[in-house]
Amino acid sequence: MENEIVLILFGSFLFLLLIGAPITVALGVSSLISFLYLGENPIKFVQIAFRSVGNFPLMALPAFILAGALMEAAGISKRLINVAESLAGPFTGGMSAAAVMACLFFGAISGSGPATTAAVGMLMIPAMINRGYDRGFASAITASSGSLGIVIPPSIPMVIFGIAALGMEPPAEAVEKFGSFQSVSISKLFIAGFIPAFIIATSLLIMNYILTKRRGYLGSEGPWSIGYVFQEMYKGFWALMAPVVILGGIYSGFFTPTEAAIVAIFYTLIIGIFVYKELNFESLNRSLETTTWLTGRVLMILFTATVFGRLLVENEIPAIIAASMLELTNNIYLIWTMLILFLLFVGMFMETLATILILVPVMLPVAYSVGIDPIHFGVVMVCALGIGFQTPPLGENLFIASGISKISIEEISLRALPFAAINTIAIFIIAFVPGLSLWLPRVFGY
Amino acid sequence: MRHVWNILNDIESIICRLLLLGFVCLLFAQIVSRELFSYSISWIEELSVFMFVWFVYFGACTAAKLSAHNRVTFQFKMLSPKTVKIIEAFADCFWLFFNVYFIWLAYDFVFNRMNKFWKSQTLGIEMKYIYMVLPIAFVLMTIRILQVNYDRLIRGADIEDPEKIDLDKIEEEFGGSGDKSLSNVGEDSGDTRR
Repeated sequence: MENEIVLILFGSFLFLLLIGAPITVALGVSSLISFLYLGENPIKFVQIAFRSVGNFPLMALPAFILAGALMEAAGISKRLINVAESLAGPFTGGMSAAAVMACLFFGAISGSGPATTAAVGMLMIPAMINRGYDRGFASAITASSGSLGIVIPPSIPMVIFGIAALGMEPPAEAVEKFGSFQSVSISKLFIAGFIPAFIIATSLLIMNYILTKRRGYLGSEGPWSIGYVFQEMYKGFWALMAPVVILGGIYSGFFTPTEAAIVAIFYTLIIGIFVYKELNFESLNRSLETTTWLTGRVLMILFTATVFGRLLVENEIPAIIAASMLELTNNIYLIWTMLILFLLFVGMFMETLATILILVPVMLPVAYSVGIDPIHFGVVMVCALGIGFQTPPLGENLFIASGISKISIEEISLRALPFAAINTIAIFIIAFVPGLSLWLPRVFGY
Repeated sequence: MRHVWNILNDIESIICRLLLLGFVCLLFAQIVSRELFSYSISWIEELSVFMFVWFVYFGACTAAKLSAHNRVTFQFKMLSPKTVKIIEAFADCFWLFFNVYFIWLAYDFVFNRMNKFWKSQTLGIEMKYIYMVLPIAFVLMTIRILQVNYDRLIRGADIEDPEKIDLDKIEEEFGGSGDKSLSNVGEDSGDTRR
């Protein structure tokens, strides 16, 4: 009986994905078929449709998307990148290192990988090419560091992970075995993601140094001074304050993530209208429009993924997976390795937010039953899926970088391989040392 | 007449933009009133969540109209665009099936199972009216799916992926500083661009 329902659920899900049905439809229809097969009344769908979406912390999602879109329209993003560019000094690979820094800054206000690549790449790729960097290399490093956008808080995938994990209690056997687990909250995830994001950025900078040294890309010969950096920082003061307001507000516990995003929206409106004077009605309208369809699309998946996840849990599928994994090995490092490789594989083919919504109901109970902390798991999951942005066939960042530099996607993805490799190593370090993610939230008293 | 059609063709997007502005302002008012006057307005949270649910489902309609719902498409790389259109239209039939079934469920739930004593906690509105968004939005979504497929198959239109980031537009915003813009680089190295 159990085997049959698994076959029907996953079989119809994969079939629908393969014929190109929207992911949300594949989830919904396969759940509906399973419900009908089990003879259960699908009236539950209606209540789940309302209850899965109608909860307060979820409103952080449109608020952050809107804040990011407005910051771009208001000229805040542009000024942040200018500050990062001014840091490109007389070091080996200074310009490409500045591109990584720009993604780091930009990631602190935006939660999207392709948006980060587009905004940073538009300025930095031509600047690198002008200084004699190879086109393929310049595109590859931008596409790779664009993934930092989703790892650095505020991160939209982390909001989604927090929401998906919110309603999931750890299984009783796991609590018995490992003691109680901490609860999941979006604020905690944002704090936990801070150090891992810097580890990934550092890994990119190391690979950048190795590669530019070999290629002989020296620093700029033009005049560069610390004064110039300060001048750019002065010009970008209000822009630099935006991440301070968002992250400072959340980390100090002054605001919830939703409130921080709302405050950021009004901060951006004031700066964009009265200080930079770049925000107009048309761009405001466009930002609202983008937020609308992006949110509608993701949360429609949340609805169907919730139904799908319930079916899985009711049929104890995560427990079966966990048991068979533990039969294979008891070693936590080997289990992490399996989890990460699986995430990397799925991330190559499927959109990040949808992947999180589908996989959390399956993988989080597994993580609980092998004693992995949920916050730690969330950070690793988001980092691992971030690599999918720079690997084909989906690789959204590659497409953007290729559009800017006019280099084929194949070549960029080849050049991006060393970065993907060192990113993967960084992710293994983050997974194997839980303290890297869990220390900071403890310090802040969460 | 045409004016009316334009509004109707964009109706869910207009509703969504208003709802989004509405709950963002409500939440901001809540923060201000709490921080400045240490007074929390109790009905704001509930009302903004209701507006949010309406926003989400009408937003899903907008996404359907823009054909923005994520699909897995790497397996179609070898096929001609026309074949892909037909396969996706076939896949959309399952979507229509799901929607019609769901509309029936939602209609049944809202009109037959919810009684008028089921009210929201702080506002005291009958939940029936709040749940009404589900049948309405899914009917609208069904119409949009048919509309998109009619445009793609019969009128042969290519619907542009809204996710495609318009690089020219960004370049316009960010460029202008002469030496940095890519078109110069292209000319310098004798590259042919477009």
